[in-house]
Amino acid sequence: MAAVRETVEAVQDLGGERYKYGFSTEIESDKAPKGLSEDTIRFISAKKDEPQWMLDWRLEAYRRWLTMEEPAWAKVSYPPIDFQDAYYYAAPRQNAGPLSLDEVDPKLLETYKKLGIPLAEQEILAGVSNIAVDAVFDSVSVITTFKEKLKEAGVIFCPFSEAVREYPDLVRKYLGSVVPASDNYYATLNSAVFSDGSFVFIPEGVRCPMELSTYFRINEKQTGQFERTLIIAEKGAYVSYLEGCTAPQRDENQLHAAVVELVALDEAEIKYSTVQNWYPGDENGRGGIYNFVTKRGDCRGKNSKISWTQVETGSAVTWKYPSCILRGDGSSGEFYSIAISNNAQQVDSGTKMIHLGSNTTSRIISKGIAAGRSSNTYRGLVSVHRKAENVRNFTQCDSLLIGDKCSAHTVPYIESRNPTAILEHEATTSKLSDDQLFYCRQRGLGTEEAVALLVNGFCRDVLQKLPMEFAVEAQKLVGISLEGSVG
Amino acid sequence: MTMAARNIKTGIAERRLIEEAGAPGFSHAGWFDKARLAALDSFEAAGLPHRRLEDWRYTDLRQILEKRLTKTEETSGRSDAPAGLLDAVDAYVALIGAEGVEGDFSGLPEGAEIVPLGDVLDEGWVRDAMDASVFGDTDAPQAAAIIDLNTALLGGGVAIHIAHGVVLEKPIHLAFSGNGTRHLRSVIVLEEGASACVIESHQAGANAFSDFVSDIRLTRNASLTRIRIQNDDRSAIHLASDRIVLGEGAVLDGFLMTLGAAVSRNQSFVRFTGEGARATVNGVYALRGSQHGDHFCLTDHAVPGCESVTLYKGVLDDASTGIFQGRVLVRPDAQKTDGRQANHALLLSREATMNAKPELEIYADDVQCAHGSTVGELDRDAVFYLRSRGLDEASARQLLISAFLDEVFEAVTHEGVRDILRVIASEWFVQERSRHHE
Repeated sequence: MAAVRETVEAVQDLGGERYKYGFSTEIESDKAPKGLSEDTIRFISAKKDEPQWMLDWRLEAYRRWLTMEEPAWAKVSYPPIDFQDAYYYAAPRQNAGPLSLDEVDPKLLETYKKLGIPLAEQEILAGVSNIAVDAVFDSVSVITTFKEKLKEAGVIFCPFSEAVREYPDLVRKYLGSVVPASDNYYATLNSAVFSDGSFVFIPEGVRCPMELSTYFRINEKQTGQFERTLIIAEKGAYVSYLEGCTAPQRDENQLHAAVVELVALDEAEIKYSTVQNWYPGDENGRGGIYNFVTKRGDCRGKNSKISWTQVETGSAVTWKYPSCILRGDGSSGEFYSIAISNNAQQVDSGTKMIHLGSNTTSRIISKGIAAGRSSNTYRGLVSVHRKAENVRNFTQCDSLLIGDKCSAHTVPYIESRNPTAILEHEATTSKLSDDQLFYCRQRGLGTEEAVALLVNGFCRDVLQKLPMEFAVEAQKLVGISLEGSVG
Repeated sequence: MTMAARNIKTGIAERRLIEEAGAPGFSHAGWFDKARLAALDSFEAAGLPHRRLEDWRYTDLRQILEKRLTKTEETSGRSDAPAGLLDAVDAYVALIGAEGVEGDFSGLPEGAEIVPLGDVLDEGWVRDAMDASVFGDTDAPQAAAIIDLNTALLGGGVAIHIAHGVVLEKPIHLAFSGNGTRHLRSVIVLEEGASACVIESHQAGANAFSDFVSDIRLTRNASLTRIRIQNDDRSAIHLASDRIVLGEGAVLDGFLMTLGAAVSRNQSFVRFTGEGARATVNGVYALRGSQHGDHFCLTDHAVPGCESVTLYKGVLDDASTGIFQGRVLVRPDAQKTDGRQANHALLLSREATMNAKPELEIYADDVQCAHGSTVGELDRDAVFYLRSRGLDEASARQLLISAFLDEVFEAVTHEGVRDILRVIASEWFVQERSRHHE
């Protein structure tokens, strides 16, 4: 009954405040001039002290982007985005590259404390949790903890800008190798203006000694966040990486267009978990983040494994398809997703499993929960290449509707070109059962608690896949996100 | 996507279709000629559908028809068995061609008529049935071009009217055969409480291009069983679009078997306009060689309390391609909807391809909707088991394929036709079998 208690407590914790990360921090910041042009890109590149090749790469992407059209196929609608009406770089003013917590602006530390992100290594060592954190604030990384300890194990975990300077060979080798700069409209935009993100490199045979985590925070008004994350696991390496994100509560829409690239070589395993909790906008759909993200993992080596787990509760509009290219023979991909939409939120999310290698397997479990007037779409592709023998896929997409104004859609694509492939897809859509609600209430639970409990049960398969620290947080989020959706 | 669609202008394939059609098969001074001109304009503006349109991503009709310009006959042939077998079914047989409708309908009960479409265009029931406005936005702009093509170049067709309360004991058999390019339309209207079974057989010749639209209206408590067997020559192109409207309590029991044609595209648009109606849209496809069979089914639950079932099963041999695209749409007020959709395919060869896209689009909460889709090969353990019981490999495969398809045949309500379908299927297996013997 632990889960029940936690859920009940989580709901009690609400205290009426729905989005508790909606505050903003008053801090002086350096910004690029408003708008987007080659000058903006040169400004960002100069700020980050980048080598010429990086600038060239960005400029090429930008020129390509100018020729591209915004995708319109997703089941989301929003007013046209004015790409000139935003800042593409904003960084809290501080000495370049703080090395220790003492050098970090106390206001920032306070912000992360409020967000519940442990940045003080002592606290963490005292047993609160075992996570190394890279904290990204608007366009820059403010601090990365445990860098030294990780270095001892041979693990590189640092802000992306630092990696460009310190490990140019690795970055050049892998950057854009999974998501090419020309991949899609938003990925190309990101390639041109990306600011910061995390770079992770796990050398051959190393099992990363702690969970790695990046916490993204949008703070400044009218800015977009364009982070770029690159994770490489060499032969036999293992890493578990967590990503969290929040933003202040504002009336305007802010753009977040990230790119995440994962590379798993022979026998390597990458577990990537996200709790996405950007500001979703208010009940009337005013404000909120546009979350247009390209995430892709490449199982390049034999028997490699990439597992995506996501809990999507935030953002006004989500457009996100974490995918796996199963290139290595025997590699496997997993996608576990909970997508919750309430009020006027719109979610179009899913995955692609591209089976190129033989004996590759994939598993997709997607749980969509729609409440309020929201729209929640699962869109996914499972494709089997002609030469991929003995492929196995199982897909399950369940949608839960709470209330009669919301909508849930399932758009799976299944393409098989090899008879030895066994592909199974099943999907259901139903409403929250009145009988179950009644039963819970009859046992003394309030409506909100009962909903949180039932929805947590509905999502259980996915919640179990989250690292422990996240699982608790995620369960609470489920309750909070659906507050006010029933009765 | 929309930009791309706009950029492509009417091309060589479209012009050739228009030229081939020649003069209209019949003239009509009234509303229909106006509709025909309007349809021609919009077809010319939109052009043939192509793969940049989401609903046509697996069947690039524009490209297929462009290729047809340069291609002459390559593989062709088919079995004449289906037509022969269906002759044994006691039915009112109507031969439908560009020339008109032939058949002896003297035995039809009062209140039932089978007439050439051109003769009854001014009848209210025909006009109402051909009016697609009831579909609103469902028969999607992406299908409109094909309907427009049919309207613009219509060469003839058949109209069937079953009056209030009339129950036809014997089925009506519409036998379509012919060569060259044909644009035909069927209008089938069942008035309140009427009941009928309509069997369609398609046997087009080599390199034929057939374009059929069926406008079907089932009024309150009407009940229609509709069985179609498409066995065109394996060099033909076959397009069929069904627009079916079900009123309160109406029942549709539909089945399609796709055996023939080099390229076939069947689109079914089912719309419920009255509560308590039930629609079954089932199908079987068995393809070989380089055949390409696309099945597109959109079921629109526009009103509450209706039930829809879609079950397609397919076997794909050689380098054939099977496509299933299904969409169950449940509109905001369509509470208590029960929508089920499934597609299962067996790939029998290394070169075969299956693409499936079973979609759910749901705007009401008190619904039960589910879909399932599987693709795979024959279960090797099952084949092994049967062989261990003394069956040779080919017989074991045949037995398992029959069992696989039988679930769909089982749902066909007309017993005689059901048996014939099984025979047709087993004949298909015999060919499969001879191939595997070598």
